[in-house]
Amino acid sequence: MPSLRQSAKKLVADGGMIRRHRPDYQIVLYMGLLMLLGLVIMYAIGPQRANVLNNAYGTDYYTGTYFFIKQLISLALALTAFTVMAVFPYKLVQRHAGKLLIAGFIACALLFLFGSVLHINAIAKETLGAYRWFNLGAFGTLQPAEFLKFGLLLFCAGFLGMRARQGLVNSRDKTLIPMALITILAIIFVIGLQKDMGTGIALVAIIASMMMIAGASKRVGLLLLGGILVVGTMFIVTAPHRMERITTFLSGDSGNVDDANNYHIEHAKIAIGSGSWFGVGIGNSVQATGYLPEAVNDSVFAIMGETFGFVGLVVILALFTALLLRLLKVADHLGDMRLKLIVAGVFGWLGAHVVLNVASMIGIFPLTGITLPLLSFGGTSMIFIAAALGLAFQLSRYTAFGSKLEGSNEKNKSSSSRRRVGGARYAGNRRSS
Amino acid sequence: MKLELQAGSRTRILAVILIGLMAIFVIRLFYLQVIKHEEYVAMAMQEQVKRLKIPAKRGLIYGMDAGKPVPLVMNQTVYTLFADPHVVTEPGKVIDTVRRVAGGNMRSGIEAMLGQKDSRYQILATKLTRKQAELIKNEQLAGVGFQEVAQRVYPEAGLAGQTLGFVNADNQGQYGVEEKLNDELTGTDGLLQTITDVGNVPLTIGGNNIKKSPQNGKNVVLSIDRNIQSKAEQALAAGMKHPGQTGSVIVMNPQNGQVMAMANVPTYKPAEFFKVDDAAAFNNGVVANPYEPGSDIKTLTMAIGLDKNVIQPTSTFVNTDYIKIDDRTITNATKGQTGVITMQTALNYSLNTGMVTVAQLLGDGKSITLTARNTMYEYFHDRFGFGQRTGIEVTGERAGIVIPPTQSEGNAVRYSNMSFGQGMDLTMVQVASAFSAIMNGGTYYQPTVIAGVLSDNKATFTPAPLKPPKMGVVSKETSAKIHNMVHEARAKFYAGKDKPGFDIGGKTGTSQTIENGKYIDNQTEATYLGYGGDDAPKYVIMVRVSGKGLNLQGAQDALPIFTDISNWIIDYLKLQPKG
Repeated sequence: MPSLRQSAKKLVADGGMIRRHRPDYQIVLYMGLLMLLGLVIMYAIGPQRANVLNNAYGTDYYTGTYFFIKQLISLALALTAFTVMAVFPYKLVQRHAGKLLIAGFIACALLFLFGSVLHINAIAKETLGAYRWFNLGAFGTLQPAEFLKFGLLLFCAGFLGMRARQGLVNSRDKTLIPMALITILAIIFVIGLQKDMGTGIALVAIIASMMMIAGASKRVGLLLLGGILVVGTMFIVTAPHRMERITTFLSGDSGNVDDANNYHIEHAKIAIGSGSWFGVGIGNSVQATGYLPEAVNDSVFAIMGETFGFVGLVVILALFTALLLRLLKVADHLGDMRLKLIVAGVFGWLGAHVVLNVASMIGIFPLTGITLPLLSFGGTSMIFIAAALGLAFQLSRYTAFGSKLEGSNEKNKSSSSRRRVGGARYAGNRRSS
Repeated sequence: MKLELQAGSRTRILAVILIGLMAIFVIRLFYLQVIKHEEYVAMAMQEQVKRLKIPAKRGLIYGMDAGKPVPLVMNQTVYTLFADPHVVTEPGKVIDTVRRVAGGNMRSGIEAMLGQKDSRYQILATKLTRKQAELIKNEQLAGVGFQEVAQRVYPEAGLAGQTLGFVNADNQGQYGVEEKLNDELTGTDGLLQTITDVGNVPLTIGGNNIKKSPQNGKNVVLSIDRNIQSKAEQALAAGMKHPGQTGSVIVMNPQNGQVMAMANVPTYKPAEFFKVDDAAAFNNGVVANPYEPGSDIKTLTMAIGLDKNVIQPTSTFVNTDYIKIDDRTITNATKGQTGVITMQTALNYSLNTGMVTVAQLLGDGKSITLTARNTMYEYFHDRFGFGQRTGIEVTGERAGIVIPPTQSEGNAVRYSNMSFGQGMDLTMVQVASAFSAIMNGGTYYQPTVIAGVLSDNKATFTPAPLKPPKMGVVSKETSAKIHNMVHEARAKFYAGKDKPGFDIGGKTGTSQTIENGKYIDNQTEATYLGYGGDDAPKYVIMVRVSGKGLNLQGAQDALPIFTDISNWIIDYLKLQPKG
């Protein structure tokens, strides 16, 4: 441990010396490709989806391009959020992390007040018996849980980073109890009050990945794992619909579509299974015509499986993997532990969404209502993920060459790799010298 | 990509976990999409491919108007408005709109229906017109929808109700032509096998779609003439002077067997068939109610005698107003024409003794032998078709009863009664068809209400193929003689009632009725059977009226109805008066 503490201290000094250099444009590349794929699928199944909704509600409100245009607007907002977070000085963001977190909690508390307590549907939007969204009238809806996630990410990165610098990551009183309190409070809001298991799991994943990078000991790791299991089981057994999803999952590939519990997951598998190698092609999805629930939102991966086939899905998974690995690389190469933890949190956020969504769609994890980032239809989730990626993109300007943890200088022996990774920095140095 | 993650670092562990998970995902995807592909496609097809019926349009029913088809039964699409209370967001607006637009078509208590939030289907209004449906649709109400319902409409209201029949809620024809020709009218539904969306709306996706166009039902044109039918109904209603009377009229063309009108009282409106309490009102009495026809049959008995050449109109016999057959004595209703009289006189005064004499003459001249009975049976049953269904295209036709001489009941007494129309049960359409045959020169045309069919686009009329007529049922000479006798029988007493210059004849009938197997005295049915024409008979009209406990007389209760229709139809058919 002393070596870690030493290096951590040294890093602060190092971090201060690292100059701003060219960011990691691969992050933009993968994010952009995924966003484009999402747009394509909205264009392809938008008319079917509109038709289904019009029939269900007996209106002509939804047009064939409704989902495409909405998605286009969401993308524009998301890219704006990305750009803002990419250029807005991260130090300012860091400084106000605490305020952001408190704002997130207040937003969730207000939602609970207007929704579950006062039942003012003009402000809080009810879906399936839970209040998860603020109604913003012409501006659509806003999910405060996303805001909370973002605030929690920034605050905990700062807090844990500070504790790591002090070498107190594994201290029960100084680190673990405060972290546990914040996490539990957030979980009470998100899973307890908003009944949003998916977002709750993502929240835990953010904390867990930050703890891991911050250097939590194996004992703390096991404690965290145990805590997750206990709390998770508690939430599952207390909610009948979650219990049903678990039993549905355990019943396996029953192929029984008549059972209401099986319906969603079996139709997701039918959609994916229909795709074969190359899919049925754009505009030929039948499952999107009302068979598969949430076709544009949570189930979009299954629709893409039907449309683009095995090859298409592997490409999508490869893009997500590439994006996530770039985040890991940025985290690995950042000097400042607080910044490192921000990127680790973004990794946990994005990774949890991707893994949970895909795993439940292909039937290897119980169904959780969680969006597939960058692809699913839906504003708030897209905007905040883009903002988080924007922040990571900004931080990618401050990476040192090689890994900056655990005295990397001695261990990184390959000069060729040094040149490649640090190329930009060298260029910067050349300019400065 | 080169990541250069620190060996043994936590980021490296995360990367390994991530890549491991992704590898599991890819394997699982390969399993679902490549290995199990066929299985999932089969599951998808099972729920996506639907066999949808393309309903055939039910054929329309036309009548005639002076030789041109006019619609009597048409189709109309009406709309049923339903709501899914679970989805309805503005119940107040829905109620206001439905009340404003649907008015009387609105069901009562829709406020309560919309309040049942756990219900998914409530019918708010029925039988909305297309315009009403569109007005409601324009309001863009969430959670309400429409269902198309095909329904029969009757531009002539209750006209010829029993001949037409109606279509029940299961789209099945009931009674009349609707039931008899149900298959032709229904047509054949088409088939669409296609991939559909979850709401069963066909999609253009997929190449294995099968489409078979529906074969619409035939548009049937009846020989029923709208104007004659209307006149017959009006004359029948006007001619029944006693309360509680029932009656029927048939008007047919003796030259081809086509029925031009069949009227009945009581009647009903096909559009309101569900309001009828007694199903008897659905039956067409002309074809469905056999009865003992009485003296009308004397025209046929005379024709048999003439055809067998055992009598002539001027042949004489001695009338004592009584005649003894075995142990029974038969008497005349009209007495006093005793002495030596002609057969024409016997027909004029409707003397039973004259008819029994003809029957005896068909035998050995003294009694109604088996030969006589066989001859009568051959004419009544084989030639005139009594005791058999005529095959008219109206549901509910009955065969009636004619007892053959081979049965012990078919003895001389029975056949003496049959000679003046008692002792056998016949329908009006049987009697009118037989009468047409002896009047038109001896050709029996099977009675029909079908004139032909109209093409799907209603442009081309194809006449129905003629059913082969029975030629020479009686000889031409016989027909000429009986034609003259029937004319005389009417002219003797009622010439003044007819339009001058036309050939009109007829025979009254007053038949005894049987209750509990015995003839009763206080209840008689009145009939009149006659024809009219110019150079040849152009119409045959038969009237029958009856009523519980009523002693109705042919001359008083049936004949005026005949006269009313006859005088009107001469103008309608534009017959040319002689000289």
